[in-house]
Amino acid sequence: MQLEVAGLDVRYGANHAVRSVDLSVAPGEIVTVLGANGAGKSTLLRAIAGATPISGGTITFEGKQVQSRNTATRVKSGISLVPEGRQIFVSLTVEENLLMGAYTQTGATTHRDVERIFQRFPNLAARRHSAASVLSGGEQQMLAIGRAMLARPKLMMLDEPSLGLSPILVEQLFELIAELNSNGLSILLVEQNTHMALQMASRGYVLELGEVKAEGTAQQLADDPRLAEAYLGAQDAA
Amino acid sequence: MLLVQQVLNGLLLGGIYVGVAVAFTLTIGILNFLNFTIPVLFMLAGMVGWSLSVYGLPFGLSDPLGWAPSLAIGILCAIGASLLVERFTYRYFKAKHGDATEHAIPLVSSLGFLLIFEYLVLIAHGSDSQAFRTPFADLNWRVAGLIISIPQVISLAVSLGIVAGLSLLLTRSRIGRALRATAENPDAATLMGVEVNRIVPVVFVLTGLLCGLAGALFAVNYGEVSPYMGDNVGTKAIAGMVIGGLGSVWGAIAGGLIVGLTETLSIHFFGATSVQISVWGLLLVLLLLRPQGLFGHNAIGKGKF
Repeated sequence: MQLEVAGLDVRYGANHAVRSVDLSVAPGEIVTVLGANGAGKSTLLRAIAGATPISGGTITFEGKQVQSRNTATRVKSGISLVPEGRQIFVSLTVEENLLMGAYTQTGATTHRDVERIFQRFPNLAARRHSAASVLSGGEQQMLAIGRAMLARPKLMMLDEPSLGLSPILVEQLFELIAELNSNGLSILLVEQNTHMALQMASRGYVLELGEVKAEGTAQQLADDPRLAEAYLGAQDAA
Repeated sequence: MLLVQQVLNGLLLGGIYVGVAVAFTLTIGILNFLNFTIPVLFMLAGMVGWSLSVYGLPFGLSDPLGWAPSLAIGILCAIGASLLVERFTYRYFKAKHGDATEHAIPLVSSLGFLLIFEYLVLIAHGSDSQAFRTPFADLNWRVAGLIISIPQVISLAVSLGIVAGLSLLLTRSRIGRALRATAENPDAATLMGVEVNRIVPVVFVLTGLLCGLAGALFAVNYGEVSPYMGDNVGTKAIAGMVIGGLGSVWGAIAGGLIVGLTETLSIHFFGATSVQISVWGLLLVLLLLRPQGLFGHNAIGKGKF
């Protein structure tokens, strides 16, 4: 396995956001994490990225335990998170946003990598020197993914990438994710759009109140009544 | 012609405010921390510079130094003091209590540092204003009826240099981009691999450098230093920062110049007593019309750490 999470616990004060979660991603695999709002999906991804402190458990990436390493070290070793809400830097230009993505890359290839992203996303290239705030929602998501790609990740985690996008853009987004994956990038995907996520993932986990409620292949989960329960149950609790 | 002269004077005064206003805006934007020691860093550069130029190094280590090395050491002292503040207001409490800014601890302890540094200087040299002498203090250029003093020309050149250098640093360098990204969204910057804890001392070094340079400019330009010289400049620089928009470096540059111009033009048209009313009145009107300042983003300053 490329990523192995074992017994992961995250607490915010009295709130036990992630409870003893075990999760793994094989090289080149697409794995999805499903669950209602507040199930702990974002917290789980942030904990793997090192952006949220954990209170227990281990995170092993490519055979090395990384749970005590800071975010920068994890980014360097190949874990990138495209955060919820995209979080692009609106006061920086489009090109500067991409360069921030390459922050941990010290090699001379950065410039070529940036040009490659611009070739892939001509809409971004046309606005490379504009403030990123002028981009549309879809373009911002492309920028957020492009920015994450510049860190040369081996595992890309995406938190609700389809949020706020039109159906056509969601379609394009999932095509892009599939294409990145076909080039060998592993994907850990958190999505509200359960249907799309299960179509593209090979395996998945269902989180409810911070616990893994169900896991299995995408097909198994799609047929599993516990998936619907996880959403309905959390709604009852809320 | 008098008006042109006043505009020139206003830009020079504004150039001094710019350095201090940028220092304020960097710490607010990046750390969400109103650093009260900034006026005293400005004062330290001037007073240490003056002291060295009159007495030489302490403990009789040297004869009185020239004006330039004196001020250079003054600026280094301001940087050193700024790092001391970082170590003991920011880093210590953050390490000890986690989210230090939530407790307003850096704010209060930086106020403590302000008073400690100010009273150390008062104990050493008393509260009187001191004349700072440069060999060219009385040299003037007369160009087309304008009187331009050599110190003013130097000040203008240094102010422009500060602005140019800072804008190059912020837009062209990797660390400059990281500073701006961290100022806007420290969480996202962390996800890019920026080690925010390593950026923090850089902010304090820049703070000390900018305030020190501004203090040195003040000493050269006005030929006078005092333990209280930072107070007026500090409040005006805060006004400039707010006018430009919290956390925006371009805003602080524009705001500093606007405050300097407002000040000298207000003296020109309404007399010396009108200065505070003009500057703060302008600030209030601007805040009513544009609460985020000229260049500010609404989101900046929220959700830091």
